[in-house]
Amino acid sequence: MNVSRWQLATLVVIGIVLAALAAVEGRRPVPEGRQEVVFWHFWGGPYRPVVERIVERFNRRQARYWVRAVAMPGSNLDTKMFLSVTGGDPPDLINQDKPIVADWAQRGIVRPLAELASDAELEALDTWLYPPAKKLGSYHGTLYGLCNGLDVRALYYNQTMLADYELQPPKNLEALDQIAQAIAPPDATEPRAYFGYLPDPRRLWAWGIVFGGQFYDPATGRVSADDPRIVQALAWMGSYSQRYGSRQVAAFRQGDQRLPGSTFPLFGPYDPATQQRRYGNYALVMDGQWRVAEITRVNRAALAAGKPVHQYGVVPLPTPAGGRQQAGWVNGNFFLVPRGARQPAGAWEFMKFWSGFGGHEAQAAQACAEGGWIPASPQVVTEPVFQSYLNQNPLMKTFVELAKSEHQVPIPALPVAALYRREIEAAGQAVMYRGADPETVLREVTQRVQARLDEVRHASR
Amino acid sequence: MSHRNARQATLCGWGFISPWLLGFFSLTLFPFVASLYYSFCRYDLLSPPRWVGGENYRQLADELVSGGPLAHALWNTGYFALVSVPLSIALGIGLAVMLSWPVRGQPLFRTLLYLPSVLPILATAILWQWLFDPRQGFVNHTLGLLGLGQPGWFTSVEELLVGGTPGSKDALILMALWSTGNFMVIYLAALGDIPRSLYEAAQLDGASRWRQFWHITLPLLSPVIFFNLVMGTIQAIQTFTQIYVLSAGQGDPDRSLLVVSLHLFLTAFQDLRMGYASAMAWLLFVLVMGITWLLFRTARRWVFYQGAVR
Repeated sequence: MNVSRWQLATLVVIGIVLAALAAVEGRRPVPEGRQEVVFWHFWGGPYRPVVERIVERFNRRQARYWVRAVAMPGSNLDTKMFLSVTGGDPPDLINQDKPIVADWAQRGIVRPLAELASDAELEALDTWLYPPAKKLGSYHGTLYGLCNGLDVRALYYNQTMLADYELQPPKNLEALDQIAQAIAPPDATEPRAYFGYLPDPRRLWAWGIVFGGQFYDPATGRVSADDPRIVQALAWMGSYSQRYGSRQVAAFRQGDQRLPGSTFPLFGPYDPATQQRRYGNYALVMDGQWRVAEITRVNRAALAAGKPVHQYGVVPLPTPAGGRQQAGWVNGNFFLVPRGARQPAGAWEFMKFWSGFGGHEAQAAQACAEGGWIPASPQVVTEPVFQSYLNQNPLMKTFVELAKSEHQVPIPALPVAALYRREIEAAGQAVMYRGADPETVLREVTQRVQARLDEVRHASR
Repeated sequence: MSHRNARQATLCGWGFISPWLLGFFSLTLFPFVASLYYSFCRYDLLSPPRWVGGENYRQLADELVSGGPLAHALWNTGYFALVSVPLSIALGIGLAVMLSWPVRGQPLFRTLLYLPSVLPILATAILWQWLFDPRQGFVNHTLGLLGLGQPGWFTSVEELLVGGTPGSKDALILMALWSTGNFMVIYLAALGDIPRSLYEAAQLDGASRWRQFWHITLPLLSPVIFFNLVMGTIQAIQTFTQIYVLSAGQGDPDRSLLVVSLHLFLTAFQDLRMGYASAMAWLLFVLVMGITWLLFRTARRWVFYQGAVR
């Protein structure tokens, strides 16, 4: 077949036009007179409709701005955001949950809230936020991120299982160890179907704080992963591997997080032969408040299907002698406005709307109730909508109480936080899966992270 | 062809290859040269690179000597490449020889054995994660029925070659062997090129099947084995995607799956140390070049080309 140059050129042009049309297909047009605010977030699964509803509510009430939410995989949202700033085409707003505020603030990637908010708003924010929410968004005393929800960890327990074993929820660390051994005696020879409790090697952050340690000493400006209290916490975590064997601990603990579609490890499957619900992987497990909604959902579905359910409870992390009460590692979700954002004012309006600041408390309470999130401010908690949610979900009350505690500590706001987090999690695994010496491992972590911190500080001078 | 036509043909030729040339210069050659420069700089992608001389390379040496993450990464990369490449060659040849036998359903067997190598890596990784799950997976379930030990596979830091128990790297190697179809197809094509007359002559001399394989098939496959050895080694050293998926993007458990390419990625895009990551990339490049050079040096001893005079 002979194709003339003109025919070829026409085909190419049609191809380009079709490709361009395909690229814009599905994007809703920005209403006339509105300015588009591009918002990147990582919310997927059951949370995505909640986020879409928040955006819709905002867009409905606004006359000036129009938020376009773009959902992305959370695993590398930070890398995408960083590269978008470097490439000169960042979004206007991002919602993030990784400890990157200090890293990005140090490099000037994100704008301080002082550039977006009025002086009066900044002053109000100081008391409006819970202390952990303020810490999460701050670097060197300056607020960069506005928290819209806290992630607090506590100890969930299978109440039915504890009752079967005639045990009570633990009040201190010694009791937790006793429960663990009563349910899973160390000398058992059969392969285990479940454990009483197994520490998660990624959670040295939490146990280190509960034991009374601090990961960074602001007085000396030095990394302190080798704090004797943290070493003690890691040695305690490692004692479970010594008791049960590293391989078995790893098979349970790694499997919990790895398999796609894994459910809450306290849930057990329904056994049609006995018409009973089996125990899950553990009797107790440390996890965040998002499991409350999952428990409600799963139990409701089981009851509707006429199947038996287990009852669950939650207590603060139990402490050893001399440890901190109501303590743990806190994380959260926060908004950041990147340097180079085209609509910072619109981004600020949306941040306030979602987090509840500046008179939007009722709307934030509704969002938190729908998403099962812990509000960033006590003023949102006191809203009738959220109070009603708490009454319907009493397990959430423990988490909300914990959010007030000054012993809920985030990963230190250091410009090497990503590295520090990785190193601490690797230290937990080295001790629990390889039988490494906690003191040696944490000393090496301290040296590596401190050396990198010195380098970053030196480079910024 | 007139002078004008020749010029037009040349221009036309350049025009046709220009998309590739553009891509090569901007996406391969420029980053390649730039990364060499960055490897001597402190660079976080945002501020301009600052020349620090050999500091990044000195830090690389420090990290290696002190047994830091880079030492783990090099060990893991070496372990994976050293075990997976020879095994995939042996398996590829074995399967290709069997698939060349004129049996019923030969095309079906060929399709089935090639299929895994065209499946998306992500789907394959997730599938094997399920199969190798120590508590619920099919592999351990089967081993249990046979009364054999049940390793931790992807959840374990153990190493078959060191402690005798399979762990995460060994599971990764088994997974890599599953998709050896690409190499197998090349062997299959090469087997078809071996003259039948050689086998007939050997049969007349009373050579057994094994002697025919050892003295005819293997030597005449050696150029293809060499090609697969070089390409397989390079691929194994650069493996990234499946490890990223299987190790929670961190090389878990306890850095037993931290390979050089993953360590490089984390250093560049999580720690924002592009200069140091560039130095690491050059270390990897030198490593690959060194191994390839060594393989070419040894090739003279064991690679036979039909019709070549020795």
